[in-house]
Amino acid sequence: MTLLRVNNMAHDFGGLRAVQNYNLEIDLGQIRGLIGPNGAGKTTIFNLITGIYNPTEGEVLLNGRKINGLPSHKIASLGISRTFQNLLLWRHMTVLDHVKMAHYSKIRYGLIGAFFGTPGRHREEAEIEEKANHFLDMMGIRHLADQVVLNLPYGAQRRVEMARALATEPRILLLDEPTAGMNPEELVQIMDIIRRAHDELGVAIILIEHRMKVVMELCEIIQTLNFGELIAEGTPEEIQNNPRVIDAYLGKEKAI
Amino acid sequence: MVLFFQNFINALQWGSFYALIALGYSMVYSILMLFNFAHGDIFMVGSYIGFGISVALIAVASSGILAMPNWLILVLTILISMFLTSFVGIIVERVGYRPLRNAPRASAAITGLMIGIILETGNLALLGARRVSFPSLIETVTYNVGGVFVTNKKIMIVLVSLLLTLALHQFVRRTKWGMAMRAMAFDFAVVPLMGVPLNTMAALTFAIGSALAAVAGILFGVAYPVLDPYMGILIGWKAFVAAILGGRGSVLGATLAGFLLGFTEIFVATIFPSTLRDLIAYSIILLILTFRPHGFFGEPYSARLRL
Amino acid sequence: MLRNIRASFSQIPLIGWLLGALTAVALDLYVGTSLALTLGLPKIPVLFGFVIMLKKPVMIPGAILYVLLIYVLPAVVITWSTIPLTNRLAATLFRLPMVIAVAIYLALLYAILHLWAGLSAYRDLVLRLTLIAIIITLSLNVINGYMGEFSCSHPGFMALGAYCASVFTVGLLVNDRLFGAAFLPPALGPFLFPIALIMGGLVASLGALIVAIPSFRTRGDYLAIISLAFLFIVKSLLENLEFVRGPRGLSGQPDWAGLPTVFLWTVICIWSINNFVRSTIGKALNAVRDNEMAANAMTVNTRRTKMVAFLFAAFWAGVGGGLFAHVLRYVNPSTFGIQKLAEILAMVYFGGLNSVYGSIVGAVSISLLGEALRPLEIFKWIIIPLLLILVMIYRPTGLIAFKELDVTNLLQPKRNPGGKA
Repeated sequence: MTLLRVNNMAHDFGGLRAVQNYNLEIDLGQIRGLIGPNGAGKTTIFNLITGIYNPTEGEVLLNGRKINGLPSHKIASLGISRTFQNLLLWRHMTVLDHVKMAHYSKIRYGLIGAFFGTPGRHREEAEIEEKANHFLDMMGIRHLADQVVLNLPYGAQRRVEMARALATEPRILLLDEPTAGMNPEELVQIMDIIRRAHDELGVAIILIEHRMKVVMELCEIIQTLNFGELIAEGTPEEIQNNPRVIDAYLGKEKAI
Repeated sequence: MVLFFQNFINALQWGSFYALIALGYSMVYSILMLFNFAHGDIFMVGSYIGFGISVALIAVASSGILAMPNWLILVLTILISMFLTSFVGIIVERVGYRPLRNAPRASAAITGLMIGIILETGNLALLGARRVSFPSLIETVTYNVGGVFVTNKKIMIVLVSLLLTLALHQFVRRTKWGMAMRAMAFDFAVVPLMGVPLNTMAALTFAIGSALAAVAGILFGVAYPVLDPYMGILIGWKAFVAAILGGRGSVLGATLAGFLLGFTEIFVATIFPSTLRDLIAYSIILLILTFRPHGFFGEPYSARLRL
Repeated sequence: MLRNIRASFSQIPLIGWLLGALTAVALDLYVGTSLALTLGLPKIPVLFGFVIMLKKPVMIPGAILYVLLIYVLPAVVITWSTIPLTNRLAATLFRLPMVIAVAIYLALLYAILHLWAGLSAYRDLVLRLTLIAIIITLSLNVINGYMGEFSCSHPGFMALGAYCASVFTVGLLVNDRLFGAAFLPPALGPFLFPIALIMGGLVASLGALIVAIPSFRTRGDYLAIISLAFLFIVKSLLENLEFVRGPRGLSGQPDWAGLPTVFLWTVICIWSINNFVRSTIGKALNAVRDNEMAANAMTVNTRRTKMVAFLFAAFWAGVGGGLFAHVLRYVNPSTFGIQKLAEILAMVYFGGLNSVYGSIVGAVSISLLGEALRPLEIFKWIIIPLLLILVMIYRPTGLIAFKELDVTNLLQPKRNPGGKA
């Protein structure tokens, strides 16, 4: 059974049909790309899969189970995690707290532990912290653990967002323009991190990206979206040579 | 039936006060994205300024220097008080809110609350605990319309409120400044970038809102002549509820909500014992808010308190 | 030189400060009267001299001297001269199991408060009301600071708790004109008082549902007016309930809210709230505040978080209300209106959002200022708001915002007996 399957998903915002006839199949360990011009509906598709919106039509199946219509925190706890295009970090919290928070749905100690500081809670919090430190190490930001994210440079913030998303221990990771605003050096680092996440954790990854270099190098299969509809799906070579894609999106520019 | 219309008239009058005060709240809230909790006290200040001016004018008129009919005194009182109270509003904005323009909105709200307390205490300190009585400038004339008793005062209050609402609506729709205000209500940050001076806009918004509160204050004094320094508190907070209920960015919404609040309070008092008025009226408001959490009109703006 | 002074003071552990304070209050109680008379003061200054200074400006030098000699000098001398001793003591205590160490510190703290309050009934009352203010402020900080809402419903929660606890104690345990004979023997009272308070807290929590459930769908401004409507409703409800004598208020609460009781409840409140906000479950409040959508995406159940925050905060506000009713031994609905709201909001925002320290500082400052400035009468209400406005302008989130209370840090010796910090 496929890990994540989306069947004929469509969504309306009022009178506007933002997404039409979207289909997806992805399994553990696979990396998909989602490209398209701005406003094509890519982030909307992420929002639909993760439960921020409830799709008007179609269904989203996680391991055969229908998840569209569930609240987004439930979907997240079932194993779908994401990063955001605009870095939605928690301004006043420390880096460590960000990554610990991702563990929320797995917490066992409940309100009794929270109010009364039971030994069980302290033990569990220590475990959570250890796990969080592991992800911080993976992202290379362990030394920033006690920093409030408000004070960090953009590159570091991106890593925090990534660490946080990975700390939910997802089976599927949706990355929304993870390289936005990065210089070439940071770009290489981020690509490396994505590869590591994929290789070490075996997660399935769907990547929204504008930088063709990143998409073509990392993704096995790429979907192209235009005006809310899939206009092409295939390997990087196939997409690069697809006339519809070139027409809508790539233009004469070669991938950098 | 007669009773219904009687209450209808009363509700219109009562709602007028809420509407005028809610308009001021709503303007500041829509355009500058903040709550001015001192607004109810600006209403009180306007009322007292009106009291002072009318007393002075009556003295001038009766001393023979310049004969003025009472209606003229009332009109002058309203105009001068609007003018002076708008300055109070501008000062409040300059001193209390401008330094906090980039601060969390909650901090600005608390500042407003404190300014209100200072205004109340200032009044108490200056005038003592004696209550003052607004001079009677209008002979009460009661008309009997098919069993329903309507006084000229009530008619005047309702008419003035509606007129001012209309005037404000036209101002916001038709003038350059009004357009700037509407633009700011949509996107606060961008408008200054377009060359509209933010400080001027803020001052103007507060000035207009305060002037409206002043009119409400004087009309209140006409209807209920006994003034006291704390008269603005309860009516202010209730008008605040009305302003948000009306929806952000909507002049008509705030007015409608103000009248609705007035109606709710008056009609609840007819059906239930009057002591239950607040209980039932606000339970109704609570119910409305549960089912229509974004108010009536205007932009649904789910304000995040940015700490 | 200033830096050196600061450096040396930073070496004083908590126990040092407590010992210094203990000396000061002991002096105040045992030597105070004679010293005061020598300095020409009519009696011992009750509130650190503020009241005396404001009533009779000619006494200012005397009052200042008194405060210096009784409070400042002993505190500074004792704390400073015993640095090696107190650090060794702190280290020893630090090695004990946390519970025992904390108990010792709390006992010491209580001793200080007890001695200070022992002077007069007025001090005792002010202290108890200040402790209750801490409970209320801290519980409001949970909603307004940690979760970033603007909730105006706290006086309503207090009222529910106050009335519920009062009905419980007066109805069941006191021979009363209103409720009739005591249902249970009054001797059981002090043991049943906690139950009365807890019931008050639970009723307040129940009431909080009215505000919590709409908070799932609306935030910010709309929640503010929902909470405000709640305030009006509770007040009006109580004014119309003949069962509790409506606007005339309920009196006759038994005198069970003495200093030890209030102190104990305050400690439990601070402890449980601090535990909560330091846990990951508690930090979810911050996540909801700073970005709700991201919180949901990171598996945080935001509905449950909001619900817990409101109900927990309301519980403590209810307990605070119950204590309040039994300290004053009288409640009436007008106490819990807009004025109380302004006071509580002032304490929270003045002290500092998202911080246990902040709430303690805010509650203590505003309460003591309120009492100390009493001789100024209405000008008190110009000075205090002005002070708050200044704080809002220069430190918009309050004096001590976002600072965590870490008990371990607090109890730690500040200097190794060897010498280096």
